[in-house]
Amino acid sequence: MTDVPKFNKSPWVVHFNCNSCNGCDIEFLACLTPLYDLERFGILHVGNPKHADVLVVTGSVNHRNARVLKNVYDQIPEPKVVVAMGVCASTGGIFADGYNVLGGVDKVIPVDVFVPGCPARPEAMIDGVLKGAQILEAKHSGKTPLAEKNVLTRTPTPVATPVAQEKGAPHA
Amino acid sequence: MIIPQTPLMVVLLVVLAPLFGALLCGIDRRITARAQGRIGPPILQAVYDTIKLLRKEPMLLNRVQIVYAYLHLAFMILAMLLLVFGQDSLMFLFVFAFSTLSLVLGGMCVRSPYSRIGSQREIMLMVAYEPILILLMIGFYLVNGHSFMLSAPMTAAKPMLLSLPLLFIGFLVVLAIKMQKSPFDIATSHHAHQEIVKGLTIEYSGPYLAILEIAHFYEMALLFFFIVLFWSSPAWVGIILASLSFFLMTVVDNAFARLTSMWIFKFMWTGALILAVTNVLWLYWASK
Amino acid sequence: MQIQEALIALLVLGPLVFGLLMLTGVKGVLRNALVAVAGVTTIAAGVALPFYSGVIVPDVGLPTLITTLGNWIEPMVILTVLAIGFSIRSWPVRIMALIQLGLCVIGLLMSRHEPLEETKLVVDSLAMIMVLIVSVIGSLIALYAIGYMNGHEHHAPATAASNNRFFFVLISFLGLMNGLVLVDNMKWLSIFWEGTTLCSFFLIGHDGTAEAKASARRAITINVFGGLAMSVGVFLAAHSVGSESLSVLMSKGPVVLLPIALLAIATMTKSAQMPFQSWLLGAMVAPTPVSALLHSSTMVKAGSYLILRMSPGLEGTPLAAVVAIAGAFTFALTSALAIGQSNGKKVLAYSTIANLGLISCCAAIGTPLAYAAGITILIFHAISKALLFLCVGTIEQSIGSRDIEDMGGLLFKMPLTTNIAIVGMISMMMPPFGMLIGKWMAIESAVHFPVVLILLVLGSALTIFFWAKWLGRITTTSYHEKYTIESISPWMRTVLAVIGIGVVVASICALPIYEQVIRPVSLLTFSEQASNINISILDSVSAFLGWPMIIVIGAIIMALATGALLFKPSRLRLPYLCGENVDSDETTYTFRSIADAPSTAMLTSYYLPLFGESRITTWANPLAALIILSLFGVLFI
Repeated sequence: MTDVPKFNKSPWVVHFNCNSCNGCDIEFLACLTPLYDLERFGILHVGNPKHADVLVVTGSVNHRNARVLKNVYDQIPEPKVVVAMGVCASTGGIFADGYNVLGGVDKVIPVDVFVPGCPARPEAMIDGVLKGAQILEAKHSGKTPLAEKNVLTRTPTPVATPVAQEKGAPHA
Repeated sequence: MIIPQTPLMVVLLVVLAPLFGALLCGIDRRITARAQGRIGPPILQAVYDTIKLLRKEPMLLNRVQIVYAYLHLAFMILAMLLLVFGQDSLMFLFVFAFSTLSLVLGGMCVRSPYSRIGSQREIMLMVAYEPILILLMIGFYLVNGHSFMLSAPMTAAKPMLLSLPLLFIGFLVVLAIKMQKSPFDIATSHHAHQEIVKGLTIEYSGPYLAILEIAHFYEMALLFFFIVLFWSSPAWVGIILASLSFFLMTVVDNAFARLTSMWIFKFMWTGALILAVTNVLWLYWASK
Repeated sequence: MQIQEALIALLVLGPLVFGLLMLTGVKGVLRNALVAVAGVTTIAAGVALPFYSGVIVPDVGLPTLITTLGNWIEPMVILTVLAIGFSIRSWPVRIMALIQLGLCVIGLLMSRHEPLEETKLVVDSLAMIMVLIVSVIGSLIALYAIGYMNGHEHHAPATAASNNRFFFVLISFLGLMNGLVLVDNMKWLSIFWEGTTLCSFFLIGHDGTAEAKASARRAITINVFGGLAMSVGVFLAAHSVGSESLSVLMSKGPVVLLPIALLAIATMTKSAQMPFQSWLLGAMVAPTPVSALLHSSTMVKAGSYLILRMSPGLEGTPLAAVVAIAGAFTFALTSALAIGQSNGKKVLAYSTIANLGLISCCAAIGTPLAYAAGITILIFHAISKALLFLCVGTIEQSIGSRDIEDMGGLLFKMPLTTNIAIVGMISMMMPPFGMLIGKWMAIESAVHFPVVLILLVLGSALTIFFWAKWLGRITTTSYHEKYTIESISPWMRTVLAVIGIGVVVASICALPIYEQVIRPVSLLTFSEQASNINISILDSVSAFLGWPMIIVIGAIIMALATGALLFKPSRLRLPYLCGENVDSDETTYTFRSIADAPSTAMLTSYYLPLFGESRITTWANPLAALIILSLFGVLFI
């Protein structure tokens, strides 16, 4: 420990709901309540990826939101970590076999912490964010390889090809 | 209460003022948390946040943003120095206003809808509170034997608050706006962040956001010092007055919902302005 | 003395001669060269004048011939106005011109047996400041016009008058304006005054469209009204004081209030104070150099100049309070009106009117500080506003719109012009540069007049609004690898660059300009008040401009340097649009909507219907007219 306050003193979280049933989201909001009080760890819930350090994702990734998730991830400044919150975000959960579902968050962006549970408990969520915050420091000091640098000219990952269309789904 | 105009003092102020401001913000967050039955962040949380932001990767939309961020900070420091060294009050106001204006322009110069909406609202707020501040300076002038220097209220024997009670109320409203407190936090909301996703600071990140934060700390220190002017002899009464005012802001913040920008404009240009003008006119009347 | 007289002749007659040469129908390069020579000689003469006249030359001693000449030229000018009254079929103009003619004839008959007075030229500091503004800025705008009018020729309506006539009027105007500034004889003053009115009429009507004609008609009606007020004032002055000299009239002060009130009304029409502001707004249909020259930086300043000249005479009279309130009222209301406008030229026009109001308010307050404030605004406003008008004109010629909302991304499309425009806007609102110093002194000097003060306070808060909106819009841009300098005529580019640099230099040198020029003028004019406490505030201006100025300039340089140095393209990201960005840097308001279809966000600035033109003017104009009418009311107190 040096005297410089670490990233883990103030991890700011942006929350992205991919495809969630809202179970995890409700639990995550419960973390803000006086009972759990996220803020006592210096964690702030921000609305904007550009101010965030930790991207908390709930729900599985599908073809439509993969691009959005990628964009949001790209707009978080380095160092950043991704916390996959709940079993859907981790693996796709019970939706994994859906025709439109790609799977867990790690199919699109690199994930640092998986928090299992359906829904995950608030304690587990806070723990997950704080685990992520430890990784932030490591990433900053270069101990773990940084996520690939993103530049403006980067084209979005071609995951958005609508599989549904190929299968002739009615909404296409 | 006269502060010597020495280089050492300048260095001390420039170094200590943001720490003081950060402390005020930390205390504010702690009190809010306690009021809501939470434990709340450490008192130095604002410092931790700023240091973290400084270590993050800078991200930008264009060059102009950087220029405005630095101008915002530089003019804020200059405004603080002008105030503390008791310089001309109107010039202090203009410098202070230009600092906020740089922030607004920084928010406007990017092609981002949220940022621009936040900036527009901030301009509305500026136009809303600027007359009150100028009238407050006029009030100082009339009370302090026709001197525009801010050193006059610092050395005045009779506390300003007793001569300018209505202007002080007007100033408290301005304080709520400057501290981004409900019901006046429409430009960059601290609480319901998602409303306009942090308004005009949205496209600033990492170190540039830290610059804005530091400027905000200076602003807090400046406002605190400004309230002390209302009761500068003895200064400890002024400090208590300022602390109470800041506490009041925290309470108000937690007790009120947000207004719309047009509502604020109308409120300031009617209610608050009438208070301020009444106070100024009665000073004219008293001086005749 | 010889050099001085030659210089004055060059300043007044030179432009008239060059203007007449235009009428010979020269074309192309030759015409450009002639305009350029006219401009450069006027600039040279204007710059040289202060060196050859010392601080004050009360009398250059011209023979009575000039007075005699004035007696014959005045009816000719009035007849020209009358002829215009007939050609545009305007009864008000005809009637007013006839009254003026009558006064002129009566005046001539009555003075037949009196010895002719010598016509004096006053070359004091205020006059030299004004001559510098007219000859330097005016000539630069004429040079700009060379480039602009060549482009204008291509898309001007078929009804437009010839460019030769345009340059004839534009250049002659410089001479008339210099004459107006230097002359002390009120008969000549009103000749030059009417002359500038005629210039304005011809130039506004240049394009010959229905709109241009209507605007020109309105301009001449209102200005001839001002001219009439002046003629009556001069007539009354000549027969109550027995002299046509302005300085004599002013030295009599409180004894001759009616002529002074009439002259004050004349200044209000010329500087487009409420309720006379409509002609200046209409004048914006004219080609840009005209707006820049006549309607922002020089001609409208004739009104401000005259009221500043009258300032010592107004002081202590009951008229002063009324003029001050009228000026402050105009300042507050036109600042409010500017908020509701998205037309760039209209915003500039309203802001001009507001500043002119501020000047006449300062002149009427009549303390050394107020006078210094008036001169400061006069100088810095002329430079900055001329620049801004030229920039808007250049932008308009390129993008085909003068709407502020269309000016996003200009920093990329027209980097040179836009950067210069930004400099101009910053100079209008950044402390501690020229304009803000002026406003600062104005508020401080108004502090003993509560009504004036509150109007100034409200107005100055409102000015932030429209400048911030505009500056924010014009600096909006996305990142681009390369900036290509726009292709505009070299005349225009050079002039923009020169005035742009001039604005920067003037801003940085605000302290020396204040110390060396403005403060002495003000102290000299109000020498009897020299022991007054207001002087101490004059000193505090100097005190302020010390270290804070250094910090500010340092901060700006630092900020610009960090902007240039710390910036790396790898740090660029798209703006936050909830992750739905369409991946392209030009269309960042575009986001993916339903079924991934690109959809564009629409976003404009606040224009607050509360400050709409029709909404405010309906009650503000009658109120302003009442304030002005009360000028006559106070005569009986």
